[in-house]
Amino acid sequence: MIKIDHLTKRYGKTLAVDDLDFEVQPGVVTGFLGPNGSGKSTTMRIILGLDHASKGRATINGKRYCDLKSPLHEVGALLDAKAVHPGRTARNHLRALAASNKIDKSRVDEVLEFAGIASVANKKVGGFSMGMSQRLGIAGALLGDPGVLLFDEPVNGLDPEGIKWIREFFQSLAREGRTVFVSSHLMSEMAVSADQIIVIGRGKFITRGSIDELTATVQGTVFVRASDTTKLTEILTSDEGLVQRINDNGLSVSGLTSDRIGELAFSSGVVIHELTPQRASLEEVFMDLTADAVEYGSHSMGAVDE
Amino acid sequence: MTMVSAVKSEWIKFRSVRSTIMGVIVTFVLTIGLGALISVAVRGHYSQMDPLRKLTFDPVSTSLGGTLFAQFAVGVIGALFITSEYSSGSIRSSLAAIPDRTQLAIAKLVVLFLSLLVVCEVACFITFQLGQTIFSGVVPTASLSSGVVLRSVILAGLYLTLLSLLGFSLGLILRHSAACISVFTSLLLILPIVLFLMPQSWQNRAAKYEPSQLGQSMMSPTSSVDGFGTWTALLLLTIYVAVAFITGVILLNRRDAGVN
Repeated sequence: MIKIDHLTKRYGKTLAVDDLDFEVQPGVVTGFLGPNGSGKSTTMRIILGLDHASKGRATINGKRYCDLKSPLHEVGALLDAKAVHPGRTARNHLRALAASNKIDKSRVDEVLEFAGIASVANKKVGGFSMGMSQRLGIAGALLGDPGVLLFDEPVNGLDPEGIKWIREFFQSLAREGRTVFVSSHLMSEMAVSADQIIVIGRGKFITRGSIDELTATVQGTVFVRASDTTKLTEILTSDEGLVQRINDNGLSVSGLTSDRIGELAFSSGVVIHELTPQRASLEEVFMDLTADAVEYGSHSMGAVDE
Repeated sequence: MTMVSAVKSEWIKFRSVRSTIMGVIVTFVLTIGLGALISVAVRGHYSQMDPLRKLTFDPVSTSLGGTLFAQFAVGVIGALFITSEYSSGSIRSSLAAIPDRTQLAIAKLVVLFLSLLVVCEVACFITFQLGQTIFSGVVPTASLSSGVVLRSVILAGLYLTLLSLLGFSLGLILRHSAACISVFTSLLLILPIVLFLMPQSWQNRAAKYEPSQLGQSMMSPTSSVDGFGTWTALLLLTIYVAVAFITGVILLNRRDAGVN
């Protein structure tokens, strides 16, 4: 189990992590979702003892990382797949890691085989593609057969086959009772790979829950086609509905349920041709959740304020 | 986790990159090759040398002249051993495997010291013997059967080894390869030039503290008038390395290792 205890990290004036406080439970895949620059990687680096917390602490099974006697046996991590000496072979990279934690040499070949890079084990890492580097990173994380695993943006650079493989791999790790903590800035990725999602923005905790729970918190819209959209707009607006005209006889309504829209239309004699609830898309949910917390928001170019 | 496994891990890392292998080859070429070249040149000009210089001629430090050039090669080997971890980012996986940063730094220091000691001693003994062979018949020679001569050759190897540790310690402090190699080279080359431009009285007092002057004191059988004695020179150089290393370890512990 990973426990983040009122964690704060400041780099000079920048507040990268702001009083984060949550737990990551074993047995499920926990997603760590947030826009770029929201503090996901910083949090992971602090969990691994690479960066020092300004306030609060992160513990693994009750201990700080630097107090672990043989850390690779307890925690496996893939933070940056390219962070390997380019002139060293994959096998030598893993052998050096294994030796530091008294892991048997035969385990190196096992994880190379498992990650699907046994055939390039004696090649220099500098020539590896991003996907191969990711696989090497995963092999390194598995070396000590740890109960806690951290992956920072693991699907970056993987081909579709690799992505499918890694999703199934995370699920199987979780089924074995391990703690699996995976970060991503893509809600759609989290939706298919994570059981639980923790959402942060600008270093702050926003919410957590399953994908269904998160989607439910954001209200969808209802698409309405009707005979007299002008009259319907009037009625719906007076009942606190938010109406947006899509085309000549189509409206997008938010703030009202489809039932309520139907009742209002019936009582005022407007004929309804179509009444379709639209579930918020994953991207909409994500944007809605993190709207106030986007570090590098895009601004429309050349827009003139009116 | 023990120091022994940390040392094993660092030993695998040290010998599994080309920069180490190249550095060792360059160290041999500079120590032995340039040492032999100097010896051949001295043999050719010995007859024309003025009597006073003949009187103070030292066949030991002359044959070890290649170390003056090899000191840059060993400094680079030491520096790259840590700066390449920062430039590639592999320092993060190293620290994730060995969270005790002091232990990681000591393990690296041990690996560097032991492997460079072997390399540098072998290089110095070969260049010494080669030099005496070149000198024989024309120029006075020295023999390892003499205690002071043996000591000088051993200390020449130790001098180079300590300089590689100095390069490594600077690497711990500076973290960037280019910055580290510039500072190391400046200490050995630029500092003496700056000192040379200072008033004579300053030169007399300060020059003997330069690392390369300490090296000369360590590897000549007779102590010179304006330099330190052999053991004082060794002690001073060791103190330089210790101060740089301890500073580096303190910084390593204090700084974040996540982002470069």
